[in-house]
Amino acid sequence: MAISSSSNLANEEQKLALKLLLPAFLILIIIALYPLGQVFYTSFTDKEFASGSETNFVGLDNYQALLSVSIKELEPVIDDETGEQAIDEASGERVYQSPIRVLPRDPHLYRPSFEFSFFGNRYVVGARTPDFIRSVWNTLLFTFFSVFFETLLGLIVALVVNSEFKGRGGMRAVMLVPWAVITVVSAKMWEWMFEPTRAGLFNMLGDRFGLIDGSFAFLSNTSLQMPAIIAVDVWKTTPFMALLILAGLQMVPAELYEAAEVDGASKLRQFFSITLPLLKPSLAVALIFRTLDALRVFDVFQVMLSQKRYSMASFNYFQLISARQMGMASAIGVIIFIIIFAFAILYMKSLGVDTE
Amino acid sequence: MRKNLFLVLALVFVITFSGAVMAQEDITLTVAGGAVGQEKELTIKAAEMYMERNPNVTVEVLETPDLANDRLGLYLQFLEAESPEVDVYQIDVIWPGDLAEHFIDFYDYGAEEVVDDHFQAIVENNTTTDGRLVAMPWFTDAGLLYYRTDLLEKYDREVPETWDELEETARYIMEEERAAGNEDFYGYVWQGDAYEGLTCDALEWVYSNGGGQIVNKDQEITINNDKAIEIIDQAAGWVGDISPTGVTGMGEEDARSMWEAGNALFMRNWPYAYALGNQEGKPTAGNFDVSPLPAGDSGKSAATLGGWNLGVSKYSEYPEEAAELAMFLAGEEVQKLRAVEGSFNPTIKSLYEDEDVLEAVPFFGSLYDVFTNAVARPSTATAPQYNQVSELFFQAVHSVLTGESDAQAAVEYLELDLMDTTGFETGEPVQP
Repeated sequence: MAISSSSNLANEEQKLALKLLLPAFLILIIIALYPLGQVFYTSFTDKEFASGSETNFVGLDNYQALLSVSIKELEPVIDDETGEQAIDEASGERVYQSPIRVLPRDPHLYRPSFEFSFFGNRYVVGARTPDFIRSVWNTLLFTFFSVFFETLLGLIVALVVNSEFKGRGGMRAVMLVPWAVITVVSAKMWEWMFEPTRAGLFNMLGDRFGLIDGSFAFLSNTSLQMPAIIAVDVWKTTPFMALLILAGLQMVPAELYEAAEVDGASKLRQFFSITLPLLKPSLAVALIFRTLDALRVFDVFQVMLSQKRYSMASFNYFQLISARQMGMASAIGVIIFIIIFAFAILYMKSLGVDTE
Repeated sequence: MRKNLFLVLALVFVITFSGAVMAQEDITLTVAGGAVGQEKELTIKAAEMYMERNPNVTVEVLETPDLANDRLGLYLQFLEAESPEVDVYQIDVIWPGDLAEHFIDFYDYGAEEVVDDHFQAIVENNTTTDGRLVAMPWFTDAGLLYYRTDLLEKYDREVPETWDELEETARYIMEEERAAGNEDFYGYVWQGDAYEGLTCDALEWVYSNGGGQIVNKDQEITINNDKAIEIIDQAAGWVGDISPTGVTGMGEEDARSMWEAGNALFMRNWPYAYALGNQEGKPTAGNFDVSPLPAGDSGKSAATLGGWNLGVSKYSEYPEEAAELAMFLAGEEVQKLRAVEGSFNPTIKSLYEDEDVLEAVPFFGSLYDVFTNAVARPSTATAPQYNQVSELFFQAVHSVLTGESDAQAAVEYLELDLMDTTGFETGEPVQP
């Protein structure tokens, strides 16, 4: 009797809970599931943005165009005089045939995405949309390095402002300034500092100290673009990382350190045996936040590099706005979604985040 | 108590009633316009003139991004949403074909009377194949060579007429000026960032060198030829030599700021920079002039046709009033004001003989031919894919400028890419 009444009560409660959750579900469907479904659907069509032209269902065409790659070996160019492989005089590198000769053209044109060497042979990776493949690579590179440096510096900053010193409150507030600046504004600011003449801060400093000749094009030179943009993001987001880690640090009970002190553990040992393990949950949350955020980076790329180099999101933007291919852009959106989803699951599994 | 209630009711009545009256009469129109140089100021000035004469209309000016691509992105979002928020759009000379379906036909609002006053070529450009005039010409543009008269005189050099001469003069004077102490001095600044502006600049090099205009009027791809490759190669040689390395990241405004600081001998830019460069206190004031751009192997100079037009959104709540406003802005009075104060090229023929205009901007008279013979980008031949064609072109040229690829390979790929995108065959370049 008593058992059944209590299970009745539980049933009632569950029903009530469902009813109470209903509004939340409804909102979720309207603002998340419906648009997401729309994007999925559009990704199978050739819809044009802001146009009255007819939309056709094209199946997986958009995905094929984005993801098709073809790897071909490049034959070395033989020097007629010596009978050996020709060597470029300017760069001193071995010369291979142009990728244009080996990549397939029919029924679709494959353009060279990048080249690599493997066991002494030279290969080229061709793609139907090499800009997209490159944008994925740029985004992964950006994510890895920016999150790595942000975590490292964030941890250091958090440890510093967690310790007792005069003006700690002020320090904590000042630390947050870069994070408070709107990204587009800070990106524009950095763009001016990267200015390729001596009007730019870095060129001016470099020139004054005799390091560079004062006309370094940070944002046009392909090998400097990524470091420049990563630096901007690290500058901007380290405070956020520090804040999350600081919150974790403050949850570590002081008694543990006292006990360790009594036992004669060194500061370093304390850090690795107490601070780091207890910090792991907060670190995991911070890492997930930042990684997922970095994977959909848009504003720094759009402002500072525009069409010189794309991130996944900025490539998506240009497909939609400049090329007006909404179907293609939706397919890119879906791929970005899947990549981010995969990262989220990977993190949860590998860091053992409690999902219960 | 009762009296009070009555008073309150009366007040409420008055407020509601006056509100209704206001809703009937007062309308607000929004103009989405550019803000490059003096553009915004002058648009606001013209809007104020209009408001003075039409007290029931409030005209708001919406500032839009400097880069044409970004601006198009913003417009497309309004248009996709069929938003009535913007009534009048300032649109680039390459857009009427692409955006035609979103704009009203000015012929329905009495444009017939004024259309003959404007340049015929631009009116044609703004007319769709089924004869709708979707945009009123507002100002026209053509690439010009700005040069420092004081420095050419000092070193006893002529205004260059070919690219080779430009290179030679620029290098000589740059070296001399640097030796004299101005380490930041460069020979030539232009638009080298990967955007529409580079398409304009590179089209001028290629066309003047006899390399055609990328895609010709018969829808044939003509870019893969020796003349085009040669001149793109030559331009890549300027980067880090007579032009700063950073020119590959420069737009119109970047080039202008360097030029106005007195740090460049030559500049390629649109006419708007003329009035700005002559403002008091700037090192360039009174020390420069303009000429047609240098010629290449074809022996002729080429200037890319630019310019902006005004279209009225189909989704506007007041299309009639908006069309009237657009025609006022594109009318003789406002065009004259913009020409005199901002050196914006009128599209109205008679203004090129107007004394006030010629006094303010003397080159409008002497370079009249440059404006009437400007070379158009292949936006009609490649519509509605012009943006993709242009992107492929400027990305290819940009990769040569930054040294990522050589001109030969980049142009070969460009040809294949263009064939893939447009489905056109290849053909022979048209000579100027």
